[in-house]
Amino acid sequence: MALAVRTSKAGFAKWRAWAPLAVLAGLCILVSLFNSNFLTVSNSLRLLNTAAIPLVLSMGATFIILMGSIDLSVEGVIAVTAVTVSLLVANDLTGYDYGLWAVPVAIIAGGLLGLLNGVLHVRLKTPSFMTTLGVGFAGVGIATAMLGGQTVRISDQTFRALSLGRVGGVPMAIWIALAAVIVAYVIQERTRIGRWVYAIGTDETTARQAGIPIERTRILIFSLAGLFYGLGGVLSAAQFGQGHALISQGRLFTTVTAVVVGGTSLSGGVGSVLNSVVGVLIVVVLANGMVLMGVEPYIQQGVQGLLIIVAVALSLDRSRLDVVK
Amino acid sequence: MSKFDWQKSGVSRRALLKGVAGLGAAGALGLPFARQARAEETTWTLANSMRSLANPYHAAFAKGGEEFAKSIGAKYEQLVTEGNSQKGMSDIRALLQRTGGKLILNVDPNDSPDARVIVEVVQKAGGYVVTQWNKPDDLHPWDHNPSYVAHMSFDGVPAAKTIAEALFKSFGGEGGIVAIGGILSNVPAIERKLGLDQAIEASGGKVKLLDFQPADWNEQKAFEIMQAWITRFGDEIKGVFAANDGMGVGALEALRQNGLAGKVQVVGLDGIEAAVAAVEAGEFAGTVAWDPMWTGGMGLAIPYAVATGKIDIAKEPKEHREFYGTAIIVTKDTVAGYRANPGKVDFNDLWGKATGQIQYRS
Repeated sequence: MALAVRTSKAGFAKWRAWAPLAVLAGLCILVSLFNSNFLTVSNSLRLLNTAAIPLVLSMGATFIILMGSIDLSVEGVIAVTAVTVSLLVANDLTGYDYGLWAVPVAIIAGGLLGLLNGVLHVRLKTPSFMTTLGVGFAGVGIATAMLGGQTVRISDQTFRALSLGRVGGVPMAIWIALAAVIVAYVIQERTRIGRWVYAIGTDETTARQAGIPIERTRILIFSLAGLFYGLGGVLSAAQFGQGHALISQGRLFTTVTAVVVGGTSLSGGVGSVLNSVVGVLIVVVLANGMVLMGVEPYIQQGVQGLLIIVAVALSLDRSRLDVVK
Repeated sequence: MSKFDWQKSGVSRRALLKGVAGLGAAGALGLPFARQARAEETTWTLANSMRSLANPYHAAFAKGGEEFAKSIGAKYEQLVTEGNSQKGMSDIRALLQRTGGKLILNVDPNDSPDARVIVEVVQKAGGYVVTQWNKPDDLHPWDHNPSYVAHMSFDGVPAAKTIAEALFKSFGGEGGIVAIGGILSNVPAIERKLGLDQAIEASGGKVKLLDFQPADWNEQKAFEIMQAWITRFGDEIKGVFAANDGMGVGALEALRQNGLAGKVQVVGLDGIEAAVAAVEAGEFAGTVAWDPMWTGGMGLAIPYAVATGKIDIAKEPKEHREFYGTAIIVTKDTVAGYRANPGKVDFNDLWGKATGQIQYRS
């Protein structure tokens, strides 16, 4: 099981590795005590359907956070790709009708924005925090400019089937998210890049001395993340049947929360894409569960905030920390 | 375009021929020059200030202002706050500086307290200002004659009540509904919830509010809450009330994922295109259109009439200084008419669509 915490030598590292999964199981039990509908097949599918887009996004974000960087451009990239794909399939603003061919175009657009993130971050030696924040703002700006503040509505039903269609009774979005998780897992486990990400996140100086091409890896990983966000943008457009610059509002917070709650450390080197799967499920189950249990709306926000603090505290291996900043 | 004078604007014959040669070139060359030529007709600069051009409401608001400026041949600027009060105010100050106070401003303040500062700087510079939606309750145009011309808003309470009643009608007036609210400290969110509460009360216990959750004007959040509600209440849900159309669309897509679109009706407010189309498709029981083209244009037309001496604003009654616009209720029965006749704006009819003085409920 790759949920294992890789670099920790602390005594309770094993326990910590399983903490997110235990939290998820505990949550599920708690909610089903209050509402017997929670663990039904139909609600599980609803949960996974809600989790689909955050899952795809968190796959990209996990690699970035594993490197010890952060990517705040999620919402900007989704905005651009969702608007791009909406304008290329049959819609009410442009005459284009490229059907599913629009999907790779939009995903590549996401990859290019990721590439921009990586190149600016590495070549200009600016912190990923600022670079991606800037690219994210620019993305929302580009999406706004592309539409002039309008909303484009999608009439292409084949494209919408990416979200609404079902295969074997399971919504397409869930299958696509599953595929994204498998791809991310293979990259993490079976490629050199995957190993390098951990090396860079653990200790960049050592990684450099070991001959790992740090710059190239960073640029590549930012581009890879952009591709995942691009797919997320495509799924968002398919889900709502429309594209607009604010379609991604709130996605950044959910994505980073999910990755961190899953046990991937913000300081880098510790975690896995599978941790993020658990993290996304925790966040989604919590939100769904609180509505099912009838928790007061403003207590819900407090609980979510508390969850993040607890999760970060649990996942952080303090034996590696000299300073807390 | 009819008032465009090629000779005066300094466009050469050659450029003209080039322009005629290609439609694209004509657009590129003609437009900037045309703007310049028109600008000479008035010394006032007109500006609309709003949160963002990325939402359809404000995009139409900006367009309304542009239409009016075009109709009188004035220079027109769009100022965008991006949700940042400081940016909003410093942009306004800069524009006042640049125009030497010859500014007519139609502003949707980012936050209520901003309105006071904006009114004061505009008054000091000798310009004219109209505010939209947000202002402190104790700030009144008649206390700042003549600079603070008017404040415009829409009354969310009766609009929400009417649209909620349209929702109840869609399922026969008896059963459970769920409601999605906006950010609860926002005035429109408070008004719309109040309107819904009034409609539920008026049903005499026949309509039951199963649950109320705020989704902060966010369609994604509305989608997720709706998914959870479908599990929690199942077919007890006969209708969905959303405090704006964006969240209503989010809820509708959650219903669609569960094969319930059209079976469980949704209502929203704002009159965005997706909601109007959903009314046509029989998935929304109704929406309320606010007519942002009208507020965008009239918020400039009224102060322009003051600036050019057409009216003496200090002598106008209070219902011409703080007033509600006309909300258009779009339902299954009225949507065809709404489509065929999208509310035309007559810039000479200054208060034609005003529907009474603003009420303060607190």
